[in-house]
Amino acid sequence: MNAVAQVPMVTVRREIAAPAAELFDAWLDPAKLTHWMRPFDTIRSDVKLDPRVGGEFEIVMHTPNGSVPHTGAYQEISRPRRIVFTWNSPYAGDHGSLVTVDFNAKGRATEIVITHERLPSEEMVKAHSGGWSGILDRIGEAYADTRATA
Amino acid sequence: MDRVLGAIADPTRRAILARLAESDARVTELASAFPISLNSVSKHVRKLEAAGLVRRDIRGRDHVLSLDAAPLSEAAAWISHYQRFWADSLAALDAFATGRKPTQRKRK
Repeated sequence: MNAVAQVPMVTVRREIAAPAAELFDAWLDPAKLTHWMRPFDTIRSDVKLDPRVGGEFEIVMHTPNGSVPHTGAYQEISRPRRIVFTWNSPYAGDHGSLVTVDFNAKGRATEIVITHERLPSEEMVKAHSGGWSGILDRIGEAYADTRATA
Repeated sequence: MDRVLGAIADPTRRAILARLAESDARVTELASAFPISLNSVSKHVRKLEAAGLVRRDIRGRDHVLSLDAAPLSEAAAWISHYQRFWADSLAALDAFATGRKPTQRKRK
């Protein structure tokens, strides 16, 4: 069942000298997010977001070579410890991905840990859940057989 | 790309890829290099083929396998892209929150 979870992922961490709550809020306030989520050669990011579980966001990063839209939806918002959201971009391609941001207090600083993992395709999910239901079916049949002969 | 990442998540499959990186091999040659059955090797090879990592060239009765590194480099590119993407973003968040000049990489 956890073969699906064995897909490699990216983990990035950084300790920042600021309180967790403040850093947490910087992720969900569009006025703040637009200022700092500018990786690589991003000149400006346009941010729209709905900071609720199930709420969606759209971050369009404008670079000298064009604009890159990133979209997703929030899966978990646990202030000030964790935010989880799906992440789709032309670079991420096909099935999207899942980002988990953990905020761990370290004295007066905060260690932020970002875990970014690919989402398995529907085929992979079906293949694996097919495997488990197959096993459960066989256990069920074997159990029914032993009861019949008891 | 999920097939690629799923394919390389298994240590036996990684070992098969490492072997094919040295040179092409017949399926039977691969099987003799691993302490598992020919059947198991074939299953692993089929997963690697489905992920586009291994090519099979049928020459008469010989099935010759070779490594196709292109999909691996896609997975590696994704990983490297997002490693830098988030490191950059956290450096910018640091500068934003603390008012200090942005640094590209955190120095330990």
